[in-house]
Amino acid sequence: MRGRMILRRLLWVFPVAFGVVTLTFFMARVFNGDPTELYAPPEATDALRAQIRAQLGLADPLPVQYFHYLADLLRFNLGTSFTTGQSVASDLSDRLPATLELGLVGLTLGIVVGIPLGVIAAVNRERWPDFLVRGATLSGMALPQFWVGLVLIGIFFVNLHLLPGPVGRLPIGVALPPRGTGFMLIDTLLAGEPALWWLAVRQLALPAFTLGFSTAAPIARVTRSAMVEAMQSDYIRTAIAMGHGRRVVWFRYSLRNALLPVVTLIGGIAGHIFAGAVLLESIFAWPGLGQYALQAIERSDFAALQGFVIYASLLYVLAFLAVDILYMFIDPRMRA
Amino acid sequence: MSPRDAVGEISPELGAIRQVRRRPKLSWSMRIGAAVLIFYVAVALISLVWTPYDPLTPGVGDGYDAPSSAFLLGTDRLGSDMLSRLMVGARYNLGITLTAVAIALSVGTTIGVIAGYHGGAIDTVVLRAVEIFQAFPGLLFAMLVVQAVGPGIVNVILVLSFVGIPDYLRLARGEIHSRRSWQYAEAARMVGNPPWRVAFRHLLPNSIGPLLAFTSINAAFVALITASLGFLGLGLGPNTPEWGNMIARGQDGVMTGQWWVSFFPGLAILGLTGAFYLLGDAVSDLTDPRRRR
Repeated sequence: MRGRMILRRLLWVFPVAFGVVTLTFFMARVFNGDPTELYAPPEATDALRAQIRAQLGLADPLPVQYFHYLADLLRFNLGTSFTTGQSVASDLSDRLPATLELGLVGLTLGIVVGIPLGVIAAVNRERWPDFLVRGATLSGMALPQFWVGLVLIGIFFVNLHLLPGPVGRLPIGVALPPRGTGFMLIDTLLAGEPALWWLAVRQLALPAFTLGFSTAAPIARVTRSAMVEAMQSDYIRTAIAMGHGRRVVWFRYSLRNALLPVVTLIGGIAGHIFAGAVLLESIFAWPGLGQYALQAIERSDFAALQGFVIYASLLYVLAFLAVDILYMFIDPRMRA
Repeated sequence: MSPRDAVGEISPELGAIRQVRRRPKLSWSMRIGAAVLIFYVAVALISLVWTPYDPLTPGVGDGYDAPSSAFLLGTDRLGSDMLSRLMVGARYNLGITLTAVAIALSVGTTIGVIAGYHGGAIDTVVLRAVEIFQAFPGLLFAMLVVQAVGPGIVNVILVLSFVGIPDYLRLARGEIHSRRSWQYAEAARMVGNPPWRVAFRHLLPNSIGPLLAFTSINAAFVALITASLGFLGLGLGPNTPEWGNMIARGQDGVMTGQWWVSFFPGLAILGLTGAFYLLGDAVSDLTDPRRRR
């Protein structure tokens, strides 16, 4: 039963993926027109323009282009980026670790801070810890991430000189460690350079904190309201009547029951974060996928844009798939 | 003597209970949210007739004047008055957000009601299409389209409303779908109401609570995306006093110590989105029986 449900859910990924792929192709072309002008010198003759257009793969009629594109995709070929001149797949995998590293640290921070805050607010409902947490989560959700990042830079870099400026994953002029995993925090240790590791940690601190702040807010909020609802239920009254201590009631009964919506939320947030926080990455000059996407849009780089969107939307679909599957294990009602 | 007075006469306590129950107390989140929103609308209206300086003229002060009695919130890099620009910005951010949300709400709800009530093939096709569309990252879509069709306030509004439509559609569809076979819907059909009337006049009004609550939360999201587009310099002209745009203009100042240029527009955004979130909370407290306390 459970196996069949998971299988059906998995198979559904394919039609959605096909739809996304098609939508992306036509959106990129219909909306972003002809990028030949961006790549041709101003004095180019018509013949040269035609040649460039053919090189970019734009000379064929749209249906033919679409067909080539699908055929390439089936062979896992995402095409070549106009701007970097490399294959999009290798561009994406080059930049993925930067986004993943920032995302993982930020998301962990958000969960580790968010869930306890939500619990504290729920068990102190309508008292001052609750109001404090609600105020903090409200501002965490209402403030634009890029603004929080800028303010933190203003405080910790410009005024207090405690943390380095927004120049990417390592300070300018520092030699990169040999690329192993692509994760700066791991590569520096593999290279046996703890000093370099510390530099990387300091570079990561502000963007990760910004991400953690805006992630913790919705997590705390949903944890709180799910737990408040759970605490008003009959089974909690029964548990209290049975003489369980407060801690058992809070954590074993109500938090466990409140976790379902929190898991859903975290799945959605993870889907967003690992697709690259475009604005955050651009503020901190973080060389991740978000910046790559921004560049692709600005330069009408079709192949890069398509590659990124396919990656991001599949990630999103997979995140929800993971949540659905996780549900079948957490939620006893679905264990049938 | 009316029966109600008679009750009070016989038993004063019962009369008192009646009094208490009559009107639900307005929650604090409702009061604060509404007050802030009214304040923003007032500022936007005032900015039509009066601002301390001309917001679009550079050089009314020197570049980067710190906040002072002449320039309450300082001036930006080009010497424009920050307060005047913030006031005019309320018009852009509030106007774009409210219009986009209104369009998304009406279009999304209409399609959602039709799909949910009709069911069958229409429902399936619409839902699948929405699912594909929702897998597409929203901010990226907005960036892509605005970059392509060119700047302009109308383009920004249309794109933002388009991004919001799937959410309203799914919500309305779910609400109607779960109610269409309830007895009161059956009764409305039996007395001869046409389907559109049952769907829109009998079923939809019962879903107004969740829809309104979501609209408010969604407005906060749209306000953030508006500012994000402005921050990226997409959508509106470079000198437009939109708050996200103003934060971007102050970005260099943050690095050199002139924090106020980016700081105050962020606070303005906080107020607007925060007010929408508070209102959303208040509405769902009022209408969701599980959250009523």
